[in-house]
Amino acid sequence: MADLVIPRHILDDLVAHARELAPYECCGLLAGTDNSVSHLYRIKNIVALEGAHNLSSFDPAKVAHLERLSPADRAEIAFVMDMQDFSAAKKDIRNKGLDLQVVYHSHPHDPARPSVTDIKIATDYEEIWPKINLPIPAYLLVSLMHAEPDVKTYWIKAGHVTKADVLVR
Amino acid sequence: MIKVRIPTPLRPLTKGQGEVESKAGSVLEMIEALNSAHPGIKDRLCDETGELRRFVNIYVNEEDIRFLKGKETSLKDGDEVSIVPAIAGG
Repeated sequence: MADLVIPRHILDDLVAHARELAPYECCGLLAGTDNSVSHLYRIKNIVALEGAHNLSSFDPAKVAHLERLSPADRAEIAFVMDMQDFSAAKKDIRNKGLDLQVVYHSHPHDPARPSVTDIKIATDYEEIWPKINLPIPAYLLVSLMHAEPDVKTYWIKAGHVTKADVLVR
Repeated sequence: MIKVRIPTPLRPLTKGQGEVESKAGSVLEMIEALNSAHPGIKDRLCDETGELRRFVNIYVNEEDIRFLKGKETSLKDGDEVSIVPAIAGG
């Protein structure tokens, strides 16, 4: 059995989100029941807001890189989720009796692989999920670096990255 | 006593402590008390108008204060508060 089953229309919506925001990174959540995804939640990328990159677990090299860019350009190489949107999505997921399954974001210029930053932040976040009553999600990346979008999904646990088995239908 | 969980990005301000205790009666009082003990924390959590910044959430016993009474949310002995930074990546 696949780790996750994602309906084609949800994957299409996710790729459309990535394309709409390119060259900036998009981000969002997928939720459903058992291993079957049924809902997509677009979340605003607010990395351009003052102080946003300082309250995330970005490594010092990434912070230095972000600070060399204008706030608007920061969204080309990073995302920070709007936690107001996140909370609204979390509440809807709970009200509908769904589970959070996936955190997604796009790499407009890079491959569909978690960056060093992605792995560090996902690892830091491992201790937070249970405290906010959510399971540890899979991480899905959409790369737009080639004409054909590339979508890949991973588990990131204790700094280790493994590919998730995803069925699209 | 109320337990307040401090996320990794704020631990440099709490001398590395991942959890601190508070006797505050509300979230607002807790933020003020945290800021007195660890100056600079309030600026990281709230904007210049005092509103909670959009890239941070505060949960009281797993409920987002945005769905309670915001910073006026009252706290009582035994409550657990988690300061949660935004999900992010590169």
